[in-house]
Amino acid sequence: MDKLIKSSDIRKISSLDHEEIAKKSEAQFEYWGPTPAEARKRAVAKQKGLHDKRTTLKEAVAKHVRDGINLGIGGFVNTRVPIAIIHEIIRKGAKDLTLSFQSNSMCVELLAGAMILDPNHVSIKRVELAWWGYEVIGIAPLFRHLIANGMIQLDDYTNYGMSARFKAGAMGIPFIPTRDHGGSDMELVNRGKMIECPFSKENVYLLPASNPDVGIVHVPAADKHGNARLFGAHCTCPEIAVASTYTIMTAEQIISTDSIRRYPNLTEIPYPAVDAVVEQPFGAYPGACYGYYWFDMPEFLNFRSICDEFRKTGNKDKLKEYYDKYIFGCETFDDFLSTRPYNKLKELRQKDGGQPIIID
Amino acid sequence: MAEYGPFEMIAFTGSRVLEDETIVFVGTGLPIIASMHAQLTHAPNLNMIFEAGSFGAILEQGLPLSVGDTRAFRKAVFAKGLCAAFELTQRGYVDYAFIGGAQIDMYGNINSHFEGGTYWKTKTRFPGSGGAGAMAANCEKTIAIMALEKRRFVNKIDFVTSIGFGDGSADYRRKAGVMGSGPYRVITNQAVFGFDEESRRMMLLEVLPGKTAADIQELVSFELLISPDLREMKEPSDEDLRLLREECDPEGYFLKRKVAK
Repeated sequence: MDKLIKSSDIRKISSLDHEEIAKKSEAQFEYWGPTPAEARKRAVAKQKGLHDKRTTLKEAVAKHVRDGINLGIGGFVNTRVPIAIIHEIIRKGAKDLTLSFQSNSMCVELLAGAMILDPNHVSIKRVELAWWGYEVIGIAPLFRHLIANGMIQLDDYTNYGMSARFKAGAMGIPFIPTRDHGGSDMELVNRGKMIECPFSKENVYLLPASNPDVGIVHVPAADKHGNARLFGAHCTCPEIAVASTYTIMTAEQIISTDSIRRYPNLTEIPYPAVDAVVEQPFGAYPGACYGYYWFDMPEFLNFRSICDEFRKTGNKDKLKEYYDKYIFGCETFDDFLSTRPYNKLKELRQKDGGQPIIID
Repeated sequence: MAEYGPFEMIAFTGSRVLEDETIVFVGTGLPIIASMHAQLTHAPNLNMIFEAGSFGAILEQGLPLSVGDTRAFRKAVFAKGLCAAFELTQRGYVDYAFIGGAQIDMYGNINSHFEGGTYWKTKTRFPGSGGAGAMAANCEKTIAIMALEKRRFVNKIDFVTSIGFGDGSADYRRKAGVMGSGPYRVITNQAVFGFDEESRRMMLLEVLPGKTAADIQELVSFELLISPDLREMKEPSDEDLRLLREECDPEGYFLKRKVAK
C-alpha cells in the first residue's frame, strides 16, 4: 500500500525525501519478532504451575538469549533499567538483535558500544523505539554514531506508541489504535497505518503489536515464582513482561509468596509471564530504583564521556578498557558492583530518600 | 527590578501561561520549574503529570532531573506507567503539553528527530520523539519552549516529530486523527508567540522590554504575523525570582545554565 495516499492526507511539510519513503514502504509488512499467533503458541506451550524460577543471570541469559531475537527492554531512560541483564547479554554475545523499547539510555548505549568493539560478538540489526538519549546529561553519542554511519535500521514511534505496541502484545491482539503519530513524519516512516474507523468514521492510527522474543525487566520485589511488585514508575514493564515470549527478571529482593498473597492487588506482573527470576541488588545501577537507590550521575557522565570521545576521535581504547574492566573482566554483576566503593552505594541509597514501599 | 537570566525569564513566562484548575504534562527542566512557580503563585490547584506515570506529586525532595526520576513520584496521588499517563491524555484530562525541539515552522510543527541527511542516514540524529509527539497530538494545548534563533525558526523543518497545524489547512489535525487543539504558545527568552485563529500561522504576541517586532523578525526565518495588540513581556518580580531560585530550582540545575551559543 502506498503510504503517501493514506487517508490522513499528509502533505509535504518537511524536507523529508518522499520518494525514498515511497520506495521503502513498498516492502511487505512483517512483525520484527514473533507474530501474535506465534507468541500465543509459546505461551500455551509453557508449564503454568507455580515453580521456583530462581536462577543465575548466566543460566537465564544462556537459555533464552540467541542471535536474531527481538529483545524488549524495560525501564525508562535512567529509571529501573535492566543493566545487570545487559551486562550478562554482552558477556554471552548475541548478534543481529532487534531492540524494542520506549526510552532508554545506558542499556542501549552499552549494547551499541559492544557492537562497535566487536560486531562478531554483539550486533544490533534494527531498533524500534521512541527515544535514545541521556536527558539532562545530553545526547547518546553511540546512537548518533550508528545512525550517522547507517549501521542500524530504525522504526520511530512516540513513547505512547511503543508502550501501546507492548500493551497490544500483552493483550494478545495484533494491533492497537492510537491518537498520535498521524500527521507527523512518523506516519510516513514507521510501520503503523492510518485507517478510517469503521464506527466513528474518523481517521485513527493503527500500530502493530510488539511481542519481543525475550523481555528483560528489573523490578523492586518479586517472589520466587516471578510475581512482581513495582513501586514508583511502572514504566512499561508489566506490558513488556506479558508481551514477551520469555521474560528474564532481576529483582532488588525476593519477597515471600505469603506477602504476594496478602496483597495480590500489588502484583503488577503475574508469574506465568516470567521465565527466570534473579535476585540482584543494585540491578539497575547506575540507574535508579524507587525505594532502593537514586541515580549515580557521575557514572552516567563517565560512561557517556568515554563514548563521546570515541564518537569524536574514532579512538576505541578507552571504550575497550571500560568493557574489559567492567564487563568482560567480571564474572557476575556483583563483581562489577564490587568495583564501586561501599560509601558510594550507601550514598545512593540515602539519596532515594526512603521512598515508601510494601515488601512485608 | 532585579537582574534575571534568560532561563528565569522562560520559566516565569511559562508559569504565566498556565491557568489554575488544570493539568500540565511536563518534560524535564524548565517545564517543571514553570509549573512549580505557577503552583506557588496564581495556580495552586494546577497538577503535573509525568510520562513515566506520576500524577499530582509533591516535589519536596528537590527538582527531578529526569521525567522518570524517583523524586517525580513523591507523594503522588496516582502512580502507574507510560500507558496510564498517555491514555489519560488521549482521553482529554491533560490541558497543557510542554515540549521542546530543534526546529519549529510557522505552523508550530516541531522536529526533534534529526538534522541533515536522510531519515535512514542522518547527519545529526537527536534522541527522537520520546513523549513529545504524543503530547503535541493529544494534550489540549501545546506550549513549546525554544531558543530564538534563525536556524531553529525555519521555513521547512527536516522532520515533523510533533504535529502542529501541519500545512495550516483547517482540517489537518482532524485528518491526522489527533485530539488536541494544537499549538498554543511558543516561549523564548525574548518573545512569546501565539497562533492566528484564521491562518493558524505563528503570531508575535509579546516582546522583551526594549525589543521591537523587527528585532524578533530578524531571528526568525519565516514571516511572522504581528499581533495588533503587541505587548511587552512581563518581567519577574523580586518575589518571583526568590521563588524560582530558592523554591523551584535551588541547585540551579536548569536556571543557571549558560545560554548555548
